[in-house]
Amino acid sequence: MITVERLTKRFADLQTGGFTALDGVSFEVRPGEILGLLGPNGAGKTTCLRMLSTVLRPTSGTAFVAGYDVTTHPTEVRARIGFMSNNTGIYDRMTAWEMVEYFGRLYGIPEEALQKRISQLFDRLSMNNIRDVLGSKMSTGMKQKVSIARTIVHDPPVLIFDEPTSGLDVLVARNVVDEIKSLREQGKCIIYSTHIMREVEKLCHRIAIIYKGRLLAIGSVQELSEQYKQPDMEELFFQLIDEYEAKLAAVA
Amino acid sequence: MKWRNILLIFRREVLDQLRDRRTLFMVAVLPLLLYPVMGIGMVQMTVLFSEQPRTVVILGADNLPSMPLVLGDRFAKNWFRNPVDADKLRVITDGTPANDPSAPASVLSKEDSAERRALVERAVRLRGQLKQRMELETQLAAAREAKQIQDVLRLQGELRLVSDPLGSLFSDSGIQVLIVIPSDFKANLDRLRGELAKRGADAPLTAVDYPRPVIVQNSADERSVIAHNRVTEVLDEWERSLLREYLRDSGLPENLPTPVKPTELDLAEQDQVSANVWAKLFPALLILMALTGAFYPAVDLGAGEKERGTMETLLICPATRTEIVLGKFLTVMLFSASTAMLNMGSLGFTGKYMASLAGGGGAASKLGDLALPPLSSLIWILVMLLPLASLFSALCLALATFAKSSKEGQYYLTPLLMVTMGLTVFCSSPASEIEPFYSVLPVMGPALLLKGLLKATGPSRDIYFYVIPVLVTSIGYSLLALWWAIDQFGSEEVLFREAERFDLRLWVKHLLRDKEPTPTFAEGGFCFLLILLLQFATMKSMQSAMVGASPESRGLLTMQLLVIQQIALIATPALMMGVMLTTSVRRTFSLRWPGTGRLAWAALLPFALHPLTVELQMSLVWFFPKPPPGLAETMQLMSSDNQPLWLVLLAFAAAPAICEELAFRGFLLSGLKRRGKVGVAIALSSLAFGIIHMIPQQVFNAALLGVVLGAICVRSRSIFPGMVFHFLYNTLAVLHGRVGGQVPDDGFFGWFFRHEASSVAGEVGALRYEPVLLCLASLAAISLLHRLTNHPKILEEWDLPPDRSAASPLIEPASPRPVDAVSAAT
Repeated sequence: MITVERLTKRFADLQTGGFTALDGVSFEVRPGEILGLLGPNGAGKTTCLRMLSTVLRPTSGTAFVAGYDVTTHPTEVRARIGFMSNNTGIYDRMTAWEMVEYFGRLYGIPEEALQKRISQLFDRLSMNNIRDVLGSKMSTGMKQKVSIARTIVHDPPVLIFDEPTSGLDVLVARNVVDEIKSLREQGKCIIYSTHIMREVEKLCHRIAIIYKGRLLAIGSVQELSEQYKQPDMEELFFQLIDEYEAKLAAVA
Repeated sequence: MKWRNILLIFRREVLDQLRDRRTLFMVAVLPLLLYPVMGIGMVQMTVLFSEQPRTVVILGADNLPSMPLVLGDRFAKNWFRNPVDADKLRVITDGTPANDPSAPASVLSKEDSAERRALVERAVRLRGQLKQRMELETQLAAAREAKQIQDVLRLQGELRLVSDPLGSLFSDSGIQVLIVIPSDFKANLDRLRGELAKRGADAPLTAVDYPRPVIVQNSADERSVIAHNRVTEVLDEWERSLLREYLRDSGLPENLPTPVKPTELDLAEQDQVSANVWAKLFPALLILMALTGAFYPAVDLGAGEKERGTMETLLICPATRTEIVLGKFLTVMLFSASTAMLNMGSLGFTGKYMASLAGGGGAASKLGDLALPPLSSLIWILVMLLPLASLFSALCLALATFAKSSKEGQYYLTPLLMVTMGLTVFCSSPASEIEPFYSVLPVMGPALLLKGLLKATGPSRDIYFYVIPVLVTSIGYSLLALWWAIDQFGSEEVLFREAERFDLRLWVKHLLRDKEPTPTFAEGGFCFLLILLLQFATMKSMQSAMVGASPESRGLLTMQLLVIQQIALIATPALMMGVMLTTSVRRTFSLRWPGTGRLAWAALLPFALHPLTVELQMSLVWFFPKPPPGLAETMQLMSSDNQPLWLVLLAFAAAPAICEELAFRGFLLSGLKRRGKVGVAIALSSLAFGIIHMIPQQVFNAALLGVVLGAICVRSRSIFPGMVFHFLYNTLAVLHGRVGGQVPDDGFFGWFFRHEASSVAGEVGALRYEPVLLCLASLAAISLLHRLTNHPKILEEWDLPPDRSAASPLIEPASPRPVDAVSAAT
C-alpha cells in the first residue's frame, strides 16, 4: 500500500550551506498494518511524511501510495490518504461540523452520503456536543477530535498520523490511540509517527527507527529484539543512536 | 482544474472573512461610516473654526485722504469682497481713530490701549530701520552705477547689518502687516486731484511722482501672507474708489480705467460641474480602495493561514494548488471590488447630502448639487474596477503568500501601497490625460481612461479607442500577477519558510563560502538593481558635467561620459559580482568560443533586423510620449559629421556591445536562468535591459533586442555572438543617421530605399526602407534567427540540466560512508 524507495530530501540552509533532512530511506507498509516511525525531534519523520502526503517534493527517490507515485500523481495520492499532524490545524472561524463537511466536499463525497458519514463520525467520536462550536472556542482535545474526523471523513485506505497525541492529556490521548486501533482493525494501512515508546509498543506491528535522516533499523518488536539481543525497545533505541553517533565520530 | 473545488474554497474563504471582525470592519463598516463621520466633522469644524484676527499697523494714518479706509479698529467693510472678512484684520493706527458710526463707541480698556501703544512704538522703530535700509539701498544702487567697488562692498556690509535684525524684529513685533503712509501723502493726492480737475489743452497733466505708502510683510510667515493678501484686496478696492471719485470730479467717465473688462460667461451646467468633481475623485478612490480592499483579506488568506497552521491542512486536500490559489484569489477580488464600490457609494451619497446641506451660499454652490454620475458612468466604473481589483488581488495574494506572518505581510504590502499612491497622484493631476503609451501601463491606463470617461463634457469620441487596449493589457497584467501567485503557492521554500534568524555576518559568509559556479536568481536581480541605482545616483553629476561644458565640447564630452557610464556603471558591477560571488567566471559570463559559423550568422543578423526595427520604430512614433529634448541632442550627435566616426562607434557601438552584454546577457541572464525557466529568464533580462534605457521608446526597442540577444546567448551558450550582433546593430544605427542620406533611392534602388521629406531645403531626410526590402529582411532575419537558435546543442562538461545544476552545489558528499554499512546491516 505504501512503498518508499530511497527517499531523500535536502534543504538549503544559510548556516551549513545545505541540510539533508531525509537520506535514502526505504520501507514498505501493507494494508491492515501499522508502522511506527520512531525517532527524536528533528530526525526527519515529519519531512518523510510530508513527502508521502505530496506537500513536499522529494529531492530524489520516490514513494508509492495506494499504487500512485507521489511525484507524478499527487492529486490521486491526496485523495487516498488521511493525514494528520501537528501542522494540520483546524479553522478558527468554522464550526466542527462545517470543518468536516468542507473537507468532505473537497474530497468529492456526494452530499447525501457525506451528511450520513459525518453524523456517523460525530456519533462515533462523541462530538455532537461540539457540533456548532467555532474552532477558536475549542479545547486542544476537541480540536484533535475534529482533526481525526477530518482525516477519516473520506474513509481513505491509507492513514498517516504524525505525533497525534502530543500535547494531549492522558484521557484524550487514550481515546486517540483507541480510535487508531479501531482503524487498524478496519484493514487500513497506517503510519504512526511518534517519539513515545509505549504507544509504539502497544499499537504498531513494525517499528522503523529514524535518526538524523537515516533509517537505522526496521522490523517487528520481536525481530528487532532478536537481531540486537535487546528486549527493551527503549534501550534498543538508545543503543542504535549511540552506535550511529560513534560511527559518525569515527568518520570525522 | 475543477471549478467545483475553486467554488468550494471560494465560498469557505468568503464565509471565513465575513466572520472575521477585523476584515469586515476594514472592508465594509469603515467606508460606510467614514464618509458620513467625516462629513459631520467638516460641518462641526466650519462652525467651530474661526480665524484669529491678524494685526495691521498703519503709521501716518492722519496723512490718508478723506475717503474713509479705516473705521474704528477695522478696515471699512465696503472694501471687502466678502464683508465678513473685515473682522479678520485688526487695524491699529497712530492717528486719532475715526469712530465707526454703526458700532457702539468702544471703551478701550487700559491694557488694550497699552498694548496698542506698544505695537505702535515697535512699528515706529521698524519704520526708522526701514528708512535707513531704503537709504542704504539707494546709495548702493548709485555706487553700483558709478562702479565704485569699495563703496559697494562697504554699503553691502552696512545693508546686511541693517536688514538682518529687521527681519527678526518684524517677526517678533506681533505685527503681521505694517503700512507706512508718507507724511505729505494726502497733500500730494489733493494736488493731483486739483490738477486733474483743472486740466485742459493749455495745462496738460505732467507725470508727477510722489512718495507712495510702503507695505511690509514677511512672506515666510503664513499669517503675514494671509493678512497681506487681505490688505492688498482692501487697498486695491479703496484705490479704485478714489480714482472713480477723481474721475467724477473732473467730468470723466468712471469706467475709464477698465476699458476692456469683459463680461464673463460660464457654459458649464450644474451636472457637468458635479461630474467634474466625480471625474477627479472617483478614479483615485477606486484605485486606492481596490488596493486597500485587497490588502487585508489577502494578508489573512495568505500569511494568516500559515500563521494559524491551517495551510498544510488545505494543502493535503485533493484540491490542486492552482485551485486553491484561484479560490483565494476570487475571494480577495470580491472584497477588493466591494470595498471600492462601498467607498464610492458612501462618498457619493455623503457628498451629495453635504452639498444639499450647504445649499445656496458658500463654496459648495460652486460644486453644484453634486448629482451622482449617470448610469453609463457607473457601468464604466464597474468595467474598470474588475481589471484593477484583479491585478491588486493577485499581487497582494502573491506577496501575502510569500510572507511568513501577517506582520511580515503588512511590511511587504506597504511598498505596493506607496507606489500605487504615487501613480494615483500622477493620474489625478489635471494635466495628465490618457495617451497611447499610458494606456498600456498597469493601473495608470484604467485610471486615466476612467477619468476621461467620467469627464464633465462627456467622453470624447476617441476615448473609446482606448477601451480595448486598456482592458486587454490590464487583464494581461492581472494574469501575470496571478501566475506569480500560483508560482509562489507551488514553491516549497515559500510555503515552509522557517523563521530564520537573519544575521548579516553569517549571510555574507555564506555568500562568499558557498559560492556556486553561476550566480543565483537573487544575485542576478540584485545586480540589476545595483546598475539601476548607480545610474540614478550618477544622473545628477552627469547632468551638471553636461551643463558646465561649452557647446563645442559638449559632443565629445557626451561620448566620453557614455563610455565611462558603460564601463563604470554597467560592466563593473556585473564583473565585480561575477568575480566575488561565483566560482566560474567563464560560465557566469558564457565566455566560450561559439564557433566561426555562429559568429558569422550573428554578424549577418543585424543587417536583416536593422531595417525592420527602423520601420517598426517609425510606425510606433504616435504611440510613445514625446522624447525629452536631451535625447534628440544625443541622437544628433550620433548622426552629425562633426565627430570622428571611430569615436562615435566606440561610444555608441563598441562600449555598449561589450559592457551591456557582460551585464545583461552575462551575469544577469546566468542568474535568472537558475530558476529553471529559460523563457522567463530571457524575458526578465530583456525587461531589465529595456528599463535601464529610461526613455519609453528606447525601453521598448531595447527590450525587443534583449529577447533576440538573450535567445542567442542561451542557445549558443556564448556571449560573443551577442556582442558581435550588438556592435553591428548599433553601428548600423549610427551609419543610418550619418550616411543614410547618401544612399541612392532612384531607379533600381527605388525598390528598396526612399528618403523622408526634409524640413530643411537642400537636405535629404532620414533613410527609410521600402516594403520589398522589408520582406527580404524578414525572411533573412527568420532564417538567421533559426540558425542561431536551433543549432544542434553543444554540450559542455557543465551543461547539466538546469534543475540538477541548481541543486548540485548544495550536495556535499552524500553522507558518511560507514552509515551505509549500518543500514546494510539492518
